[in-house]
Amino acid sequence: MTIDIPFIWTAFKEIIRALPITLILTILPLLAGFIIGLTVALIRIYKVKFLSRVANGYVSFFRGTPIIMHIMLIYFGFPLLIDQISKKFDLGIQSNSIPIILFVLTALSLSAGAYLSEIFRSGIISVSNGQMEAAYSVGMNSFQAMTRIVLPQAIAQSIPNFTNIFIGFLHTSSIAFVVSQKEMTGAANIVASTNLKFLESFIAAGLIYWGLTIIAEGLSFLIEKKATAYNRGGVQ
Amino acid sequence: MGRAFDPSLIVDFIPTLIYYLGVTLKILAASVLLGMVIGIAAAILRLFRIPALNQIVILYISFIRGTPILIQLFLVFYGLPAILIFINIDISRMDALYFVIITYALSNGAHFAEIFRGAIKAVDYGQTEAAYSVGMNNSQSFFRIVLPQAIRIAFPNIANSIIGSLKDTSLAFTIGVMDMMGRGETLIAATAHALEVYLSLAVIYYAVVLLFEKIFRLYENRINRHQTVDVSVTG
Repeated sequence: MTIDIPFIWTAFKEIIRALPITLILTILPLLAGFIIGLTVALIRIYKVKFLSRVANGYVSFFRGTPIIMHIMLIYFGFPLLIDQISKKFDLGIQSNSIPIILFVLTALSLSAGAYLSEIFRSGIISVSNGQMEAAYSVGMNSFQAMTRIVLPQAIAQSIPNFTNIFIGFLHTSSIAFVVSQKEMTGAANIVASTNLKFLESFIAAGLIYWGLTIIAEGLSFLIEKKATAYNRGGVQ
Repeated sequence: MGRAFDPSLIVDFIPTLIYYLGVTLKILAASVLLGMVIGIAAAILRLFRIPALNQIVILYISFIRGTPILIQLFLVFYGLPAILIFINIDISRMDALYFVIITYALSNGAHFAEIFRGAIKAVDYGQTEAAYSVGMNNSQSFFRIVLPQAIRIAFPNIANSIIGSLKDTSLAFTIGVMDMMGRGETLIAATAHALEVYLSLAVIYYAVVLLFEKIFRLYENRINRHQTVDVSVTG
């Protein structure tokens, strides 16, 4: 077995064509997770009755089980559920007409929501209560104080964690290949098995992921500098 | 095949699957222990800025943190035999389990290295100076004074990493390892009840993670018992 170096480039060109799907599988779940996570974090911080129990259970379960479980449970569970409901109410929706990618996106969004909620929670808690009091003292109400004063600071604080989650989900999207999604790992798998050059294909895929990660880290550094510009230290 | 979804099967599957928990835990234990050794070595190489090796470690950590574990698994599975054949060692027939352990050990090693490095740097240099002042040499002050404090600081991150690693082992089946997931796949092939199998697996993983969290929290309280309250924020 020898390593065919030129083939790495051939595989690289083939695999990078699947980059858009990888990015969709990374960014859409994070956007949905952003909304879920923020809602769940606020519910848990304000200890909303009953809902905070549900939120605790949700976060604990999703952080306590492998992400491949979430994909599999939704991939196999939702079609059954949809068919049952459809039969009961005579809706005429067939689960096999729903593209698989929607199931994968749902699963990843729910995982992202659980992980992001913890980040928001720690971000919001890290903003000192004095900020809230200062906002009240100039006549803001709770909602204004939260959205104008606390959240911008909490989000700026959380940027390094967001980067970690982004990179984590970029890598997690590779799991989608087990339910035959043609994202980058899926594409690498196809290139590998059609040419019987497994090592070269996965080297190419590894290089692409690595490059994306380095770019993401660089961007995060720039954004962090901008977002925390208010916090220059300065006169103390 | 009976009903489309049969909840009683979940209970039936759990004993069959839990029998393979041993394999999962074996992968975890071996890769965490090996990872500790790699991680401590890598952290020391970086802290003392050993020429050449320091750069190699930086590259290694960046690569591991920059690629999905699934890709690393495939790279080790296909790459290691290809490299070792150059020195006339044929491991192409080695049990897939060992490839998994090697991959997770390398992955854990990179994460542990960063955790240890941060923790060792977090220990005040005054501690080392104090150790010198009572006549300790370099290695005594490191192993008796700095390292025990660094381990305390690193512990919550290490615990998180181990739990993450436990969940990552669920991907080992992709290269054909018969762990819980691998056994689950064969159960699905035999019974065609995929959802029930995955629900059973989710229950088992969740229970193990909760158990681990409990143990780690107890242990964390134990190693923090000499701390004043304001330092250890435990819930």
